[in-house]
Amino acid sequence: MSPRPLGPREVEQLTLDTEPWLSCDDCFALVDQYVEALLTGDLIAAPAMRAHLRGCPACAEEADTLAHLVAEETGQDPTPALTLLER
Amino acid sequence: MTALGPIPAAATATTERADWVSTLSLPGPERDRALRDLHQLLVHAARAQVHRMGWSTRGEADVDELANQAADEALVALLGKLHTFEGRSRFTTWAYKFAVLHAANAVRAAAWRGREIQLDGLELLPDTAPHPGHYAEARDLAEVVRRLLGTVLTPHQRRVVVALVVDEVPIDVLAERLGTNRNALYKTLHDARVRIRTALVAEGLLEAPTGGAR
Repeated sequence: MSPRPLGPREVEQLTLDTEPWLSCDDCFALVDQYVEALLTGDLIAAPAMRAHLRGCPACAEEADTLAHLVAEETGQDPTPALTLLER
Repeated sequence: MTALGPIPAAATATTERADWVSTLSLPGPERDRALRDLHQLLVHAARAQVHRMGWSTRGEADVDELANQAADEALVALLGKLHTFEGRSRFTTWAYKFAVLHAANAVRAAAWRGREIQLDGLELLPDTAPHPGHYAEARDLAEVVRRLLGTVLTPHQRRVVVALVVDEVPIDVLAERLGTNRNALYKTLHDARVRIRTALVAEGLLEAPTGGAR
């Protein structure tokens, strides 16, 4: 087997602080409300959601698409919400 | 029209209906119409996810097939959880997330079908390519993290984090191969991160958390 690199991206991902804990199931349960809040600028304090989306690329990718879809449907600019999602 | 494609016209007219849950709950022609509209919305959301993941290069026929299958699965999942919808978001936002999830899982599964996943998890080397900024510090940290992977993690944690983070195996794909689920693997990854961070704090390479972290 060939050695695989452990570069800055991998180190950052391996050392991420993903507290407070939130499961993928709980993220899925909340993501619709969270995305709508981001789009309306009615930003809720959701440290667990933010931590989860930083640490789970799959959930983050899906939240990103959801933001695009809702923005499209409601005629909103998704950019501010997407910026917040990527933090 | 946006990059996501047009919202289905028939569905657009009903996206603001206030009675999705009751309409979908009562058998009859209204329910049948609502199901058709909802399915169109789910296909639209699934197609958006498929396109955003770069699957559109496979051709429209493949995209349509995958999006429709994902929408079918999403509709079943959604109807099974209809009683849990509490109106805390728009119904369509709530519905879209099912289609996005199923489409994303389908694309990831298709992209990794037939690909081998290494689960030994240790033959790692720090990246020796130059990076801008604090090169020496970054390389040193990579070396410490590599050592910690071998010393503070359980074999299962090591296999999971190497597959997810280093080899970038999608979490659903890895879950399917290991016979588990996304939730369980994310918990493993989370606990591994806690162990690595705790060890880095003990070695003075990371500031101790000020609160919240274990």
